[in-house]
Amino acid sequence: MRLRLMTLMLAVFSLTACENKQSDGTGASGSDQMLVVFSSRHYDSDYALYDAFEKETGVDVRTIEADGDLLVERLKSDGARSPADVIITVDAGRLWRAEQEGLFAPLQSDILDDAIPAAMRHPDGLWYGLASRARVLVYATDRVEEDQLSGYESLADPVFKGRVCARSSGNIYNISLLAALIDRWGPEKAQDWASSVAANFARDPLGGDTDQIKAVAAGECDVALVNHYYFARLMNDEKDKDIVSSLAVFWPNAGEGVHVNVSGAGVAKNAPNPELAKRFIEFAVSEQPQRFFAELTNEYPAATAVKYDNSALAELGEFKADPISLLKLGENQAEAQRLFDRAGWP
Amino acid sequence: MKLSSRERWRGVSPAPIGIFAALLCTLPAIALIPMAIADGGSHIGHLIDTQLTSYALNSITIVVMTVIGTLLLGVPTAWLTTRYNFPGRGLLSVALPLPLAMPSYIAAYAWLSMTSNGGPFHDLTNGYMPTVSGVAGAAFVFSICLYPYVYLLSRQAFESRGVNSYEAARTLGSSPIKAFWKVSLPLARPAIMAGMALVVMETLADYGTVDFLGTPTFTVGILRAWISLGDPEAAARLALILLVTTLLVFGGERLSRRGQSVAENGGRSKPLQRVSLSSHTALFAILCCTIPVIFGLIAPVWYLAILALETAPVRSPVDALQGTLLVASLSALIAVAVGLGAAYADRTGGWFANVSVRVAHAGYAVPGAVAALGVIALLAAAQSLIDTVFGSVAPLIAGGGIIALLFAYQARFAAAAIGPCESALARIPFTMDRAARSLGASRWAVIRRIHVPLALGGIVTAALLVFVEVMKELPATMILRPLDFETLAVSAHHFASDERLTQAALPSLLLIMLGLPIMILVSWMMSRQQKESAFDE
Repeated sequence: MRLRLMTLMLAVFSLTACENKQSDGTGASGSDQMLVVFSSRHYDSDYALYDAFEKETGVDVRTIEADGDLLVERLKSDGARSPADVIITVDAGRLWRAEQEGLFAPLQSDILDDAIPAAMRHPDGLWYGLASRARVLVYATDRVEEDQLSGYESLADPVFKGRVCARSSGNIYNISLLAALIDRWGPEKAQDWASSVAANFARDPLGGDTDQIKAVAAGECDVALVNHYYFARLMNDEKDKDIVSSLAVFWPNAGEGVHVNVSGAGVAKNAPNPELAKRFIEFAVSEQPQRFFAELTNEYPAATAVKYDNSALAELGEFKADPISLLKLGENQAEAQRLFDRAGWP
Repeated sequence: MKLSSRERWRGVSPAPIGIFAALLCTLPAIALIPMAIADGGSHIGHLIDTQLTSYALNSITIVVMTVIGTLLLGVPTAWLTTRYNFPGRGLLSVALPLPLAMPSYIAAYAWLSMTSNGGPFHDLTNGYMPTVSGVAGAAFVFSICLYPYVYLLSRQAFESRGVNSYEAARTLGSSPIKAFWKVSLPLARPAIMAGMALVVMETLADYGTVDFLGTPTFTVGILRAWISLGDPEAAARLALILLVTTLLVFGGERLSRRGQSVAENGGRSKPLQRVSLSSHTALFAILCCTIPVIFGLIAPVWYLAILALETAPVRSPVDALQGTLLVASLSALIAVAVGLGAAYADRTGGWFANVSVRVAHAGYAVPGAVAALGVIALLAAAQSLIDTVFGSVAPLIAGGGIIALLFAYQARFAAAAIGPCESALARIPFTMDRAARSLGASRWAVIRRIHVPLALGGIVTAALLVFVEVMKELPATMILRPLDFETLAVSAHHFASDERLTQAALPSLLLIMLGLPIMILVSWMMSRQQKESAFDE
């Protein structure tokens, strides 16, 4: 008896939920056109971008957000029937994988070629960079002198034995960095570097980049390897800015320069609305959306000409980005994970 | 109390149900086989040479520690709250299952920030409390989040089973402790093992918690083979190894108690007489039952609530709440049908049905992301089959959608329904089926009028457990959901993976708030059902 009642309640509940979804659907599809975005980003800047595009064009933007690799698998299996118009992923390695699977359609656009520097886009126009993040060193100003640091190689310096924090090697930011270092130094030196950094760890890799910054602030370690973006976010946060008050960012500018990772967008190969998809990507690199990336998510806009207002980024200052071809990051990805495994970086 | 095969087949033929359940639960895993035997997989050698041993060791250590932890937290608390009377017992027996509403990855985020430098627990204990991290930290988080499985199932067993036997043992001069060890515990073993199986499989399949706490396990290895090394073939092989190992372990356990039947004769059991405790022992009992709730629920919820209150939400969680309710309630209904069918097949079917159900059960140990991969591959294969048959008019089934999502949930969580249904049915003696049949009851009447009412507690528990599981599920939801479809778990994950714990706090809290009444209902239904079955006759 009671079971039946419960069943009824649950059924009614779910039907009402269904109903609401449907009415949402018909309400939103009042406009003629729909653009489907498959994205592995889920940031405030992206929501602002979708809203702005909807306002500008009257097009209804629908999204699926999921981790990059699941997204690639879904696109692969959907094949010719995929509803996706635009594919956005967070990392050059992921863009490369999507490209290898043949998920992108090439795009010719003078607007995009003018706005985005060649290093930040695919040579054949398969994808274009939207925004980038830099991998930097963060150190405690009271325990480390700036001149003790020279670049990523400093993390392997025996001076820092038991004083280094970094997150685990499965993380895509670390993999892409090592992929770039393999290209820069060759695999042997890159692996030696990874082993020496692992030997310098103050603790086993734990948590995310923010946790590494907090660990330096708390004195658990003195230097950490993180994305600038997490540091800038702490700087801009009223509650958290005390954490970073005794810390500083070191830009590994020497030699090839700072490792930069890029989020990019491309038109899906089987896009139902390729023209609309092109229009969306062109819109995404225009001034206002590019400012969203800088001002809402603390990333560097891919359209380098765009001026933005972000006090933390202004304070961090200029840096020299590694001009490596982003394709290399993808090509070296598996080898980077293998080197990490051999080096004993968990 | 074995039935001859002829007698077995006198019931409604259960084999198709068992096979259906098995197919449902194992198809995603089966879809991995072609992938596993395909070319590629060249990275297995590399993994064996480097990290695989340490991944496997981490997995084993965490599972062993979690098993011990959940047994210590689950069994004594179940025993104390069913057999003894002490102040707060009623409240605590309802509160003890509640931590199950807490997704373990969220508990991990909360506990790591609470116990690392600058966190409230760290400051409160002057840094003496160790940071929740590594192997021990992961085992701690799994223990406090998953012990309710053991608690719920063993409490159900203690309440219904062995009351007479326990009292007989006491009358014959056993001490309460000896009677517990020699009579009640062995009688509750199938139920405890069913709970344990869920704990072990969920621990093995976890990715988020162990990755965040910095202790790479076998599952992390599977995901790395797929994602970082770009070698899905190697990932599929490793996933199958994990699956087969789990199957063997639980097969061995069942083999070791083959031929033992723990049904009590007669559906009637005496109403429970709870023994009142003296003030000292009562204090001990209260402490025993409060600690798991504080660690598993109160501390992390309190911390998340503070974070949520301090932060303005960037997105309204209403859509996510609706999405969660929809998929979780539909899945719970389907899972009960599947679970009950499978349990019935296992009870009355031949060896084939038995094996099918065991296999179905083990599907639970497949990591969520890998299961999602299997479902995607399966749907794609089915689509190309339909396309060749129907040509261009073929309906679209691959890709996402509510149906694909519900299928993935069943594949993953029907096992959570099979366990409780099975242990509930196991308590109904076969003599009762036979008596009913000899009195002229039809096959369906036996199920409808005997099995369902007597196993109602187990059935409802199964439904609600699946509800809570689906509510917390991540990878399959993320990838198979329809456009613009959001759930609370997905919102929480998006913020947490972006290291914005403060923004993740609100959807996490809503998730827990939604889980709480469900878990209270589980608790209430179970004790209510016990009372009814005791007084009914």
